[in-house]
Amino acid sequence: MTKLIQRGFLKANLLLPRQYNNGRFHLPPFNTLFKKAVSSAYFMAALFFLCFTQMSFAATINGTVTGTGGTPLAGVSVNLKGTTTGASTNAEGRYSIAVPELSGTLVFSFIGYGNIEMAINGRSTVNIEMTEAASQLNDVVVVGYGRQKKVNLVGSVSTVTVDEKLTNRAVPNISSGLAGLVPGLAAVQNSGMAGNNTASLVIRGLGSVNGGSGPLLVVDGMPDVDINRININDIETVTVLKDASSASVYGSRAANGVILITTRTGKGQRKTSLNYTGNMSLTTPTNSMDFMNDYARALTLHQHRAAVNTLPGNQNFRNGTIDQWMALSMIDPIKYPNTDWWDVIMQNGSFQNHNVSATGGNENTNFFASVGVKDENGLQINNTYRQYNARFNFDAKVKSNMNVGFKFNGNWSDYKFALSEGFTDPDPGNTAGNDMQFAIAGVLPYDPKTGYFGGVMAYGEDPQAYNPYTLYINNLNYTNRQEVFTNLYYDWSPVKGLTARVDYNLNYYNQFRFTAPTPNTAYNFQTNSFGSRVYVGNNAGISNQTNTGFKTLLNARLSYNTKIGENHDFTGLFVYSEEYWKDRFQGSSRNDRLYPTLQEVDAALTDIQSTGGNSSVEGLRSYIGRFNYVGYNKYLLEANFRVDGSSKFLEGSRFGFFPSVAVGWRFTEEEFIRKHTNSFLSNGKLRLSYGSLGNNSGVGRYEQQETLNTLLYAVNGGVQRGFVNNKMINRFLSWETTTVLNAGLDLQFFNNKLTVAADYYDRLTTGMNRPSQFSILLAAAYSPAPRVNIGDLRNRGVELDVNWSDRVGKLKYGVGINASYNVNKLEKWNQFLGRGNIFLGMPYQYVYAFIDRGIAQTWQDVYNAAPQGASPGDVLREDLNGDGRITGEDQKAFRNTQQERPTTNFALNGSASYKGFDVVLLLQGAAGRKDYWLNNYNNTNFGTQRYASTYDHLNKTWSVENRGGEWPRLGGSGSNRTNSTFWLDDMSYLRVKNVQLGYTIPNNLIKRFGITNLRLVGSAENLVTFTKFRGLDPEGQGDDNSLYPINKSYSLAINLTF
Amino acid sequence: MNYKALFACIAIGSTLLLNGCRKDLLEAIPTTELAQNLFWNNEADATIALMGAYSATRAVFNRDYYLDGHAEFTRVRGTSATNGNLLRGDAYQGANYNPTGYGASFDKYYRYLYGAVNRTNYVIDNINRRLLPAAQGKSLTNLETILGEARLLRGMVYFRLISMWGDVPYLGREVFSNEEVAMLPRIPMKDVRDSILADFDYAIAKLPAKGEGIGRSGRPAALAFRGKLHLYWGSWKKNGWPELAGFTTNSAEAQASFTAAAADFKSVINDFGLTLFRNGEPGNIDALGEANILPNYYDLFTPRANGNPEMVMAFSHLGIPANPSQGEELMRDFSGRTIEGSQCWVSPRYEIADRYQLVATGEFAPKMVQLNPTTNTAARTIVNSAVNPNTYAGRDYRMKASIMWDFEKTIGLAALKSTGFSPFIYQTWAANVTINGVRYISYNTDGSNSGYVFRKFVRNYEGLGRSEGDFAWPAMRLADVFLMYAEATNEVLGPQADAVELVNRVRRRGNLPPLKAERFASYQTFFNAIEQERIIELVGEGQRGFDLRRWRAIERVWGAPGTAGVWRQDSWGANQQRFFQNTDDRTYQQNYIFRIPPGERDINPNLTQNTPWF
Repeated sequence: MTKLIQRGFLKANLLLPRQYNNGRFHLPPFNTLFKKAVSSAYFMAALFFLCFTQMSFAATINGTVTGTGGTPLAGVSVNLKGTTTGASTNAEGRYSIAVPELSGTLVFSFIGYGNIEMAINGRSTVNIEMTEAASQLNDVVVVGYGRQKKVNLVGSVSTVTVDEKLTNRAVPNISSGLAGLVPGLAAVQNSGMAGNNTASLVIRGLGSVNGGSGPLLVVDGMPDVDINRININDIETVTVLKDASSASVYGSRAANGVILITTRTGKGQRKTSLNYTGNMSLTTPTNSMDFMNDYARALTLHQHRAAVNTLPGNQNFRNGTIDQWMALSMIDPIKYPNTDWWDVIMQNGSFQNHNVSATGGNENTNFFASVGVKDENGLQINNTYRQYNARFNFDAKVKSNMNVGFKFNGNWSDYKFALSEGFTDPDPGNTAGNDMQFAIAGVLPYDPKTGYFGGVMAYGEDPQAYNPYTLYINNLNYTNRQEVFTNLYYDWSPVKGLTARVDYNLNYYNQFRFTAPTPNTAYNFQTNSFGSRVYVGNNAGISNQTNTGFKTLLNARLSYNTKIGENHDFTGLFVYSEEYWKDRFQGSSRNDRLYPTLQEVDAALTDIQSTGGNSSVEGLRSYIGRFNYVGYNKYLLEANFRVDGSSKFLEGSRFGFFPSVAVGWRFTEEEFIRKHTNSFLSNGKLRLSYGSLGNNSGVGRYEQQETLNTLLYAVNGGVQRGFVNNKMINRFLSWETTTVLNAGLDLQFFNNKLTVAADYYDRLTTGMNRPSQFSILLAAAYSPAPRVNIGDLRNRGVELDVNWSDRVGKLKYGVGINASYNVNKLEKWNQFLGRGNIFLGMPYQYVYAFIDRGIAQTWQDVYNAAPQGASPGDVLREDLNGDGRITGEDQKAFRNTQQERPTTNFALNGSASYKGFDVVLLLQGAAGRKDYWLNNYNNTNFGTQRYASTYDHLNKTWSVENRGGEWPRLGGSGSNRTNSTFWLDDMSYLRVKNVQLGYTIPNNLIKRFGITNLRLVGSAENLVTFTKFRGLDPEGQGDDNSLYPINKSYSLAINLTF
Repeated sequence: MNYKALFACIAIGSTLLLNGCRKDLLEAIPTTELAQNLFWNNEADATIALMGAYSATRAVFNRDYYLDGHAEFTRVRGTSATNGNLLRGDAYQGANYNPTGYGASFDKYYRYLYGAVNRTNYVIDNINRRLLPAAQGKSLTNLETILGEARLLRGMVYFRLISMWGDVPYLGREVFSNEEVAMLPRIPMKDVRDSILADFDYAIAKLPAKGEGIGRSGRPAALAFRGKLHLYWGSWKKNGWPELAGFTTNSAEAQASFTAAAADFKSVINDFGLTLFRNGEPGNIDALGEANILPNYYDLFTPRANGNPEMVMAFSHLGIPANPSQGEELMRDFSGRTIEGSQCWVSPRYEIADRYQLVATGEFAPKMVQLNPTTNTAARTIVNSAVNPNTYAGRDYRMKASIMWDFEKTIGLAALKSTGFSPFIYQTWAANVTINGVRYISYNTDGSNSGYVFRKFVRNYEGLGRSEGDFAWPAMRLADVFLMYAEATNEVLGPQADAVELVNRVRRRGNLPPLKAERFASYQTFFNAIEQERIIELVGEGQRGFDLRRWRAIERVWGAPGTAGVWRQDSWGANQQRFFQNTDDRTYQQNYIFRIPPGERDINPNLTQNTPWF
């Protein structure tokens, strides 16, 4: 044994230096990173080669493995059954395996093709043809607390296999990579900001008005993990559980569906392989505002606007000021700058992802190890996000009936940014968050000669105008976060069919955040003096905040599987689960930093300081059960339940019970159908499920506890403790319940070339918990008002997934379309609903808008409309109720249009491969949403000073000289900016989400370098978007302040396997 | 073997099921919040609860200066109040502070007033129920003091409610469920007044002569508020409140109220040895354009006056290191960017300037001439020009202490440090200017459209930021009591010698000579003199809007319905805003009474609306 281990170790030692010392990977910019990654991988690989055992051999079997149509299959693993002896096929499909004797059975396995066993029977040549059809029966899908055969699934479950098509794309995280891949799953990306570019995931529409309408995210059995911090390359599959039958094992948190992520293991791998994946891309914005970099002209726009109601003598800007600026800016750009801020604070972004993994295994053990680094540079200066990941998954067979395994995943990240949304910050406490509209061209960003940051200089200009550059240089936020996820399981099958398993998970995180702004004051280069605007005061200090916390999960499960007779398959599962969260915060800050390079709180004076700290815990105890029956391979029955008890609720309302039942019928297994359909239909299944799910996300951890709040007072110059009673508890508050009816049909035609899956669902959320509507007499004292379970919301929808794949000679291709349609309706609301865009019998947040009659061209147009204080150049609105006035009652409800989210999502993906070349195309789009295009940057009624106008303000606004102007006049009626159809845009879009072109280097060229696979891929993300929306991006949510577009990126990826 | 395994399995499984790993998994105990059932043990707890009530009540009184925008001399172009943050002025957030059109925008304020009612009820009921029955001796006295303070606060809040909305629902006890109040109707203002009087009576009986500390109240506060309630009641009964359904005038009742008011004020003035700040002396004043020495009236509105006997009742504040925010934002609201980046939401209107009388005569100066210095090069030197600093020479000391005109200086502040003097020059913001050979950066604000900014309430020394003020906001000031006493006695008996003397003591503060005899020759002339003093003495304190309404004086100031209205202008003569142009009767009515929140009427059919708001 020792000898064998030494051999294994030796092999690793011999192999690795040869591969890594040849210098081919020394890409200069990431040299060090890569070295780090490589050395870690080296270490892990070396460690794990120790686990391999080898044998001695007497005979050799050769053969060829081909796929349908006789094409050779490369990479098929061939094993001698019952041993660890194995080999794999080369590019011509040929293999050679050394066996002790010409007897026994060979097992051929290939991902997607399943396993085929073939007795040797004394042959020294064994050729076989594998077909994909053979695999279908054996495909398994990850479901909650286990795996199930795909053919026997009765719930609505979609799976995404994370393969090269996804990992080669320049998607920064898994959530944004899921867009367009799963029918019924909307992945909406609001921003392309580095570190803040995750997509919000919504399954089957808005499940609750509570805000918590995102799905439950489960990574390797652990709920509530931030999936965006998982290395995409580590992910094997993403499973989306959409209906009650599949999701109800997650009970009180599954109302909005569940997404299960499974990471890679070495299971099924017979061969150890090392894999490098690298991805480098350049990112540019898909769209941006066209701010005017011509200050003199921007000032004339101010004049135009002011001329509406201000005499020239009383206007802020004089002709002289403007003329002077126009003339002198041509010769003195320091004193008379025309700054193009976009140019100053923007850059081309970049994105890099490097990942090294090792995977392997044998009969008794298998492992997967990986290290990765992700490096993002945002579109603005000083916005970076860097994340490192390491993963280690290991399983071992302790005894023939016992397995143990552990997973370790660590990630740490460094995030640097100026404003939380990139250019803006929604926090009302941060005035800079709203200031981009005040970034006038007449401010010099910075003068390297003096080291001063520019401020306002023009006579009459508001000294509070904004210099974004100083913010992006001097006012940065830094967040460092580390997370560790560990998982340990032990399973034991004491008797046949019975398995007991215990899982224990511990997740830990630590986050440190600091800000340490650098003092600076606006400088006036014309007068050579500091202006009055202090960007950061001289007493600027340091703020440090630490968040730490952990979550534990204990699962104990018992499953039993038995077959009664030939045709009755029963499976039962019972799980007991405990989850526990604890989070802690501490923060402190001091004024007066000692020196601008220091950043921890001790590096500041102690005279003025503040501190804060708190912690909270939560517990969840659950009992889960599942029963499956498969009769005659065609009658399917599944029943699930989960009982959840949460510390968020009071005794009596604490436990929730979430049952579901589902039936399925594989009708193509019925002889009387099969004989008619067999020629074209290979598989057909009807599914029906019904059940209930819960949602507790809207309730705070201690919200239901009867506690007093502090409200302090001051007496004699000192703080006095003060307590007030803020809480009036609703003792009966409990979960929101969602019941889902799902009917589905799965069909596979023409030997599985064409697969169709269609689903219809009706999802009713009852008892949505909302703050109750308190009398105004209590509303201030008891705030927030206790929550009550009110309101019913129904979502109905259909989903369709159609895929075709075939092969013509050496050309292999596939086309898939998926689409989903969802409408919701508010059915019950037990409180007063005022006039607005929420009402009974209507979609939640439908469009409620004034109808416009266009821009008034003449006074006659104004007289013809209802009186509304308009002049020519203003938007006229219809008097819908004919009362001669324009009031809120003249708005129209658009019954079928939603303002916040589309009704239809669709995607088309295509792929083809020919010899070593392959192409992938993903189109994605949405329809059924309209929203107003009204934001701070297309304001025609801007203030009297410091407005950063765009060229559209110059060219598009209506005036007597520009009667065709698309925008109303400058400084017109305030109602020009109301929610009217004038600004209502159709948010439908079609986007070329991804295009990839790959080339796999022929095996014979790279074989001698020890390389089994080398693939190069060029990929482009968000290449083109077709939309009628006039704003930045039709996918984003409405916010009159937000400015961050999503990114367009071009990348080059390398996959390398040894 | 298999059975053994199975047994072991079941044993482990059932142990887990029955016990779990964490027994207290579902019992999460808050770590920073006190459970309700652990409170209310003793007097100390009562004090802690009272502090909560003080804080909640402070939040509906300490930004009353915004309410000055409802009259003609102060412009409130916005507020610094943070939405959703009680201690940062949420009660005042989002309301309209123009001279007209404001009546429908005080739903939030209404809500927070009732918030304060609930806080005081919580103290009153729990003391009565849990502590008082067993209390005796010193403890009983202490509890009664706490109770008295809570009842004073509750009375003040209801007084504010009726003075804006007339009839209101009355909530006199702790509430335990929404059902208890959901259908409450409004009750006649008189009944509410009687409950307020009961609260004030109790407070007067139980409070000590001096409050327990700066920020807590003593008996004079309760007396002064009872007097003010009588005064307002007298005004309403005399002048009428036609917008309030069912309310009728009654001169006998008015007289009785004025008499009662005078008695209460007299007691405040005479029985507690209270004096005006620094004895009401004007103090010293610097030369025009200089600000090293400022009159006493200026100091009165800085923390130097905290705890002064003139502050009959004040809500106190703390700057850093108070956490969470106990500071006031007077500086942020009343001054410009030059001072800690302040926002100048509140500024004097041009028209106040002519109201400041001459020290020499005690009478008004000739009306100033407004000139534009960018088009008229002589504007700075023409006699009596509003932009000629010399025009402001020899005025009421309170002018320099309250407002700044062109070339008046103040201390600039940034990052808690002084940046030196900065001269205010209207429309020349943050510019380099040289005055007497010294270079300055002029005052910067985008908040003034009149030619003036406030000096009153703005600290001129370093150390605290714009949101960290530590001035105790006066809810009742002795000077106000003097003037209210004069008004009440004038209503009953006409000008009285002691009343005239008190008005003269207020004028003395501005270094003005006593009133000339003709100024108190009749009820009307004396009333005018009192009104003039109220305008100057109380500017920016939120009193004038209430005065205009209870005196039915909106038409007197702005003209009758349907007339041309009145422009507000600036010192250059430019028109800024015109109010009450061709305004209908309904709008006037809506300015006299506030709107009952319609959202509440949607859910409570018993709640009636004030007539102009139907």
